[in-house]
Amino acid sequence: MTSFFSTFSIRFLLGTLLLSLAGCEWVEFSPNDHRAPAEESHLTRKNLARLEQQTLPPGDTLRFVFTGDSQRFYEQADDFVESVNQQPGISFVMVAGDISDFGLSREMRWVNEKLSKLRVPYLTVIGNHDQVANGRAAYQEIFGPLNYTFTYAGTRFIMTDTNGREYNFNGRIPDVPWVEQQLADTVGVQRQVVMSHVPPEDPDFDPTLRPAYTAALRNAPRLVFELNGHRHDFHIGQPFDDGVTYINSFAFEKRQYVVLTVWGQKQFRLKTIAF
Amino acid sequence: MLRCAKAGALAAALFPLLAQAQEPIPGAGPFFLTVQIGGGIGTVAVGGGYRLARQQLEPEVLVGFVPRRLAGGPALGIITLKTTYIPFSPKLGQHLRVSPLTVGGMLNYTLGRRFFLTSQSTGRYPTKGYYWWSSAVRVGAFVGPRLTYVGAAAQGWRRTSAYAELSTNDLYLVSLLSNKTLSPAEILTLGLGAKISR
Repeated sequence: MTSFFSTFSIRFLLGTLLLSLAGCEWVEFSPNDHRAPAEESHLTRKNLARLEQQTLPPGDTLRFVFTGDSQRFYEQADDFVESVNQQPGISFVMVAGDISDFGLSREMRWVNEKLSKLRVPYLTVIGNHDQVANGRAAYQEIFGPLNYTFTYAGTRFIMTDTNGREYNFNGRIPDVPWVEQQLADTVGVQRQVVMSHVPPEDPDFDPTLRPAYTAALRNAPRLVFELNGHRHDFHIGQPFDDGVTYINSFAFEKRQYVVLTVWGQKQFRLKTIAF
Repeated sequence: MLRCAKAGALAAALFPLLAQAQEPIPGAGPFFLTVQIGGGIGTVAVGGGYRLARQQLEPEVLVGFVPRRLAGGPALGIITLKTTYIPFSPKLGQHLRVSPLTVGGMLNYTLGRRFFLTSQSTGRYPTKGYYWWSSAVRVGAFVGPRLTYVGAAAQGWRRTSAYAELSTNDLYLVSLLSNKTLSPAEILTLGLGAKISR
């Protein structure tokens, strides 16, 4: 024992080995370890900073790509990126949650590895799958806040966590007062878009909050539509017959996405693209 | 990744393939203690086991811990059942044994309210199999080299082994197999450990 560790060269080699391991991202303490290397964390903040640097589209028109549920569809993610990169006039990509399937940090980083090849920034909202296990902590580390807003080209995007079932329907998710407050703040805002993962008509949406949430949207005069994921297929309609349009995204597995063009106060055009 | 390559090269330098004829490892009783860093079973995991099958099989129980700061919430406790198979351990000089390849499997359970045995057991979800997997239980497999030092018979802890292992788990494997664009290297995890026995 003593003779073994007193051999200087072996001690030196072991020491250097340990130092290398400490900085080696292969050393994983648990698949539920929420940490991510600096270049793969705080992506919402980084993508918003990128968006801010981007020249505003000319005139009044804003065009963006709308998709969701990238969970474990890595092959489709590659083809999605290739297709979106050929679309003209796109300002950014919106992903309506369920970035991961198992709520694991590595999955979120795998998806980012693909989506970071987009020519434009991409923005996400948290999905129910992103909250499984330690996923909520991983999402916050890798992407960022569960509720946030940004304004681009006169359009205010309000991104909110509606995965009520993951919180045992505790009556606080979605955070309706927060949503109301964001919708009320219309300074410099021509139109509004709300995006969340679970649509309010879904059984995974907290039923006690459904009336208040849909009322908040109904009472927002500048709201163009609400964008959702979760159901894996495209749908557009007014499920509450209250004049509020809800659009559900294709999941990556459907090999289709939506291009949304908004202008004026509430005008929009919708195009579906196969890839 | 550069650091990983450096660690790999150093590990290779420590485990040269100068294999000599194999004899059973002398001395030391069947009980052993283990400490492991990483490898998906804790920042640090400690435990022990009992050698079976002419000391070629090492079943063991480990208790791992991921501190609060690294867990992004309450600290994680991980209980692991693990078995290592050491097919051969040729001699290298008077005191050293080199096992260029050990293989094994593990099953672990992560404690805490965030993790469920089945999604059904939470009472939160309307249908059976809402989430088909268990977020608490992981099944894994690993391969890796090992270096063993066997001391003189009079010594207290006669046998000391250092090992490295590359492992993966069921969910990473499902991710890899369900598409063609992830590479096998992306689902691997490195662990480093030591075992001692009297």
